[in-house]
Amino acid sequence: MNWPQRILIVWVAAILATGASAADLNVFAAASLSEALAQVGADYGRATGDHVRFNFGGSGALALQIKLGAPADVIVSADELRVDQLEKAGLIIPGTRRAILANQLVVIVPAAENSPVVSPADLEGAGIRRIAIGQPDLVPAGAYAREYLERLGLWEGVRRRLVPLDNVRAVMEAVGSGDVEAGFVYRTDALFSGRVRVAISVPLADGPRITYPVAVIRSTREPGAAKSFAAFLSGAEAQAVFAKFGFLQPN
Amino acid sequence: MTLSLKGIRLSAGEFQLAVDAEFGGGVTGLYGVSGSGKSSVLEIIAGLRRPSAGSVELDGAVLTDAACGVHLPPERRGVGLVPQDGALFPHMSVEDNVRFAEGRTVGAGGLFERGRVCELLGIGGLMGRRPAGLSGGERQRVALARALVSGPRLLLLDEPLAALDPARKEAVLPYLRRIRDELRVPMLYVSHVPGEIAALCNEVAVMADGRLQRQGPVEEVFRQLRANYAEP
Amino acid sequence: MGDVLQVTLFTLGAAVLSTLSILPPGIALGWLLARRQWPGKSVVETVIALPLVIPPVATGLILLRLFGRRGPLGSLFERYLGVEIVFTWKAVVLATAVMSLPLLVRTARVAFEEVPVRLENVARTLGAGPWRAFFAVSLPLARRGLLAGAVLAFARALGEFGATAMVAGMIPGETITLSLGIYRDIQLGQDSAAYTLLGISVVLAFAAVTIGERLSRRRPA
Repeated sequence: MNWPQRILIVWVAAILATGASAADLNVFAAASLSEALAQVGADYGRATGDHVRFNFGGSGALALQIKLGAPADVIVSADELRVDQLEKAGLIIPGTRRAILANQLVVIVPAAENSPVVSPADLEGAGIRRIAIGQPDLVPAGAYAREYLERLGLWEGVRRRLVPLDNVRAVMEAVGSGDVEAGFVYRTDALFSGRVRVAISVPLADGPRITYPVAVIRSTREPGAAKSFAAFLSGAEAQAVFAKFGFLQPN
Repeated sequence: MTLSLKGIRLSAGEFQLAVDAEFGGGVTGLYGVSGSGKSSVLEIIAGLRRPSAGSVELDGAVLTDAACGVHLPPERRGVGLVPQDGALFPHMSVEDNVRFAEGRTVGAGGLFERGRVCELLGIGGLMGRRPAGLSGGERQRVALARALVSGPRLLLLDEPLAALDPARKEAVLPYLRRIRDELRVPMLYVSHVPGEIAALCNEVAVMADGRLQRQGPVEEVFRQLRANYAEP
Repeated sequence: MGDVLQVTLFTLGAAVLSTLSILPPGIALGWLLARRQWPGKSVVETVIALPLVIPPVATGLILLRLFGRRGPLGSLFERYLGVEIVFTWKAVVLATAVMSLPLLVRTARVAFEEVPVRLENVARTLGAGPWRAFFAVSLPLARRGLLAGAVLAFARALGEFGATAMVAGMIPGETITLSLGIYRDIQLGQDSAAYTLLGISVVLAFAAVTIGERLSRRRPA
């Protein structure tokens, strides 16, 4: 065998080898992480040759799909509750769960108006007719908003003004168009629209712990790649991408 | 009665209509094969279609003038129409059908009183029935009565006997003659059957390819037509 | 249980109001599309079909932009009528009306297309103006199809959810409908509660269909 032939064989073997070891990962992730994760997924794919496929959705719906047997390898949820449920049902590989991101609850107001809202108590003010939140039963951001208001003893006072909505985008729209005087979203959401302004940033110490856990699904066919991807999310490279989108580090 | 069509033009796809004609009283036949434009002419006279050019005048009153943008709506023309299968309103009884035009008489008033018309056409016994339960001949007579009750100045008949078998045709013809003779309503009678036209009309106009080919007394016109088709 | 009753009555009321309010424009549009041609007709057809084609949530978003307090239409309502639409029961009626209108228009159009134009024409020559010809001839003859369209629209209104959630919110006691309740219960895993609401929806739909059948059979066409 001459040298060109040897090189050719080695080259083909190398390609086949990487192809054979490349994994296909199904990552179920909260819709709020779409843009950030898309980028992180691409970075990961380039680094390892694995192919990451995302299924973005509401955390509730994703957990339900996994419970019903959807072929997910990894879940990245927008709240701990859903992963608690999956853990209790024995659907998570023990030891693979960790919090990778944090977010901050904020109160937004229409950018085009002079809103009187400066502190949480202002939400009970006469000029605040309506406050948009995600439906607490369905939307994690809404659940956190409720938790926060209850903690401050404001819940009973404002609950009649609340307009529960299906999703965070709807809350942004409602506030941005001036149809409601205030709304609760995450800091990362508020950055998206110029029609809203952050009036109150709930301090991390006072506010609810909004953390995004990652976990590997027990029924995964690629446990190695799945664990490797989950670890990648905590790494410096991925965290830099998340920070660009306004996410905070968990601690 | 004088009906004049001047410079009537209409295009529908490949079909071109170009008609200049004058019709007097009595029953005038409009003869031609299907597709020759006969029905379109009736629609224009009745005001159901607007020509792209030309004018329609009835007894000196302008019904349509394309150049001036004048178009009297159908309900104000006093022109009755009996379409091919009578077009009775299926959801109304015979009586309600006949009474549909009641209250609006643009014609000769007393002459077209409902009772008289129904008697003339022999439909008194059909009043409570529904159109679906009538025979072809009965349907046509009810349609004629309905049109007559509105007291029209001119009655347009679009192949009224076409859907009937020969026996029924024979049965309905006398009624048409009654309308002609006793009510004296001017009629324009469209048909592709020379025999019908000969039986009823004094004058006939021949249409082909959207144009009026010839017009004149029935005998003469048909003789000319036969001559055209005779072997050389 | 009182909750369920309130939600049921509200949903029923909103669906009835929504269907009644789209009957005149829906029938009129159906007739126009069946009988008339005009430049830009296909644009009108497309716009009417949009709620059927785009995701309900997108329709909801468009409605929010239009009828919000600062929106082109919402601001008119607020300024001249003092009426607020979004996040009130009126938005529920609006969203369900918009979502079920296309179904009504389509059915109405087909119903009118089956009425021979000849009959309307003859009515005109008998002295009936366009309105009388419509009410005395076209409408009665199209009655069965129009009723079917109304029942369809009503059923759609009962089941509407995506657009409504966006423009009316899920305000307890004010804008929660049966379908929103079902969605929420399923999401929360409260299946038995969901089945209760589902059962009620089925009963309402069944009642609507039966009434529609009765009405359309009362007089032979």
